[in-house]
Amino acid sequence: MLTVKDVTLRFGGLTAVNNVSLTIKQGTINGLIGPNGAGKTTFFNLISGVYTPNEGEIVFDGVKLNGKKCFEINHIGMSRTYQVINLFRKMTVVENVMVGLHPKMKSGYFSAILGTKGQREEEKEVLEKALDWLDFVGLRGNAYEMSGSLSYGKQRLLEIVRALASNPKLLLLDEPAAGMNSKEKEELFDILRKIQNLGVTILMIEHDMKLMMGITDYIFVLNYGKKLAEGTPVQIQNNPEVIAAYLGED
Amino acid sequence: MKLKSVSKILLAVLLLLVPLLFRNFNYGILICGFIGIYIIAISGLDLVFGYCGQISMGHAAFFAIGAYGSALLHKYLHLPILLTMVIAAVIATLIGALLAYPASKLVFHFLSLATVAFGEIVYQLVAQSPGGITGNFTGFYTDSINLLGFKISTNTRFYYFALVCVCGFLLMKHRLVKSKEGRAFLAIRENSHAADGMGIDVKRYKIIAFATSAFYTAFAGSMYAHYVRFISPETFSNRQSVMFLTMLLFGGTASLSGPIMGAAAVLLLNEGLRFAERYQMLIYGFMLLVVILLMPGGIYGIIKKRIDKRRVVS
Ligand SMILES: Nc1ncnc2c1ncn2[C@@H]1O[C@H](COP(=O)(O)OP(=O)(O)OP(=O)(O)O)[C@@H](O)[C@H]1O
Ligand SMILES: [Mg+2]
Repeated sequence: MLTVKDVTLRFGGLTAVNNVSLTIKQGTINGLIGPNGAGKTTFFNLISGVYTPNEGEIVFDGVKLNGKKCFEINHIGMSRTYQVINLFRKMTVVENVMVGLHPKMKSGYFSAILGTKGQREEEKEVLEKALDWLDFVGLRGNAYEMSGSLSYGKQRLLEIVRALASNPKLLLLDEPAAGMNSKEKEELFDILRKIQNLGVTILMIEHDMKLMMGITDYIFVLNYGKKLAEGTPVQIQNNPEVIAAYLGED
Repeated sequence: MKLKSVSKILLAVLLLLVPLLFRNFNYGILICGFIGIYIIAISGLDLVFGYCGQISMGHAAFFAIGAYGSALLHKYLHLPILLTMVIAAVIATLIGALLAYPASKLVFHFLSLATVAFGEIVYQLVAQSPGGITGNFTGFYTDSINLLGFKISTNTRFYYFALVCVCGFLLMKHRLVKSKEGRAFLAIRENSHAADGMGIDVKRYKIIAFATSAFYTAFAGSMYAHYVRFISPETFSNRQSVMFLTMLLFGGTASLSGPIMGAAAVLLLNEGLRFAERYQMLIYGFMLLVVILLMPGGIYGIIKKRIDKRRVVS
């Protein structure tokens, strides 16, 4: 469903992503790992439209993404979370999810100003849907709190569900477990499975190897912007080059 | 809930009775009319600044486009005044959208510079107009609003007219901010990268916010023109833009009632300090500093904090 071909991105003299190719299969949970500064987040920014690659091609669901803007890529069916939490802090929890549902809404500016029946009904539906999504990650009880006041782990869950609300085909998660305690990580594990069961394909960056090895079907390894290896968790764990890259870091 | 609707009815009755209460105090009714005008003007500014997080330091330009646009259309094309007000506001909306199109890419401080420049350009055009059609510094006389033969020529009549307009514009604002558009504005203010990632066309919504805001402020400008029946460039200088921002920040942004309280408070203060008119800018500057440093949410913010606290206690 996602095919990345020989993609390169340079920041001035630094080649942050160097000639990377990979293919992601529908319905799978994929991991993207690598030492700090390997270019993982930059790779996410490339496929989600924040940057346009200097070289190479990104094809998602049959559509070439090069040069498309973030919001357009979201409309095609790819949604993401961020390594640094990027919630709408002074909006309520449920409003954050409603923003996630924005691309699904049909009524326009004038129907809003006139308060037409159709618009009011759509608003009601979207609110219900957003509350259902909050149930999905167990945040319904926090629906009317400011999102900025949630605990760190809950903020991470809210980011995930905000991204899920637009019914993406591919979900990109940038370190979803960062800052979570072990209980929250267990919950996250279950939620990821539930997301997979919805038919959503996942590509996630994560430093927690236990979580990664336990949940992913397939893993890609980046090092210094280059793809070092790919394979099943077992293959990756036993790959001497990968072990060397991680040992070299520590 | 019940208490709320009772207080709403009381407020409505009170507002309707203002001219009666001020029966022997025409000046009071006059000021209330101006408060209405400013509520509309800064409610518009609030959409772009408070909700969408885009600064405009040149909103006096839209006030001017509304005022001069309506007055000139009436004089030269002999169109009925209510129609000219709407046309002028629509023109301002289009100009707002045109300005916002390139400006939507700018970051905060460059945007503020661009809007200052825009304000200055419109001011200069009004003060030194081609062919002197605006009357330049001499000013420009115009007529009262004419509602199908009924002239809004007294302060009391204008008060009711303004009351209807304020209700209409506030209702529109309320609906807009509670809709997907309003959420898009807030999302852009809170985190434009994440808004983009969530499928919001950030540029488009910035333009929508700016254009809507131009409509509000321009309509208020046209109300001003036909209330005072005389306009001159000094009303539309950057002083006016600063006053708009002072009112909005003092009352509190991103709310319905903030602009109401801000407009009322600053106008009343203005009147109270008539004798110190030449220190006006100094006073605004001081108020802005006080608000920014000591009461960042404005009057609305202070009241809201009180209410929230009480809610937590009970
Ligand atoms: N906008 C930018 N401009 C210049 N250099 C950048 C930019 N963004 C990232 N980099 C550089 O690109 C390299 C890759 O960064 P990136 O954030 O993608 O790493 P990462 O693999 O996500 O690391 P981490 O695990 O720490 O999150 C780093 O050397 C970083 O300093
Ligand atoms: Mg990263």
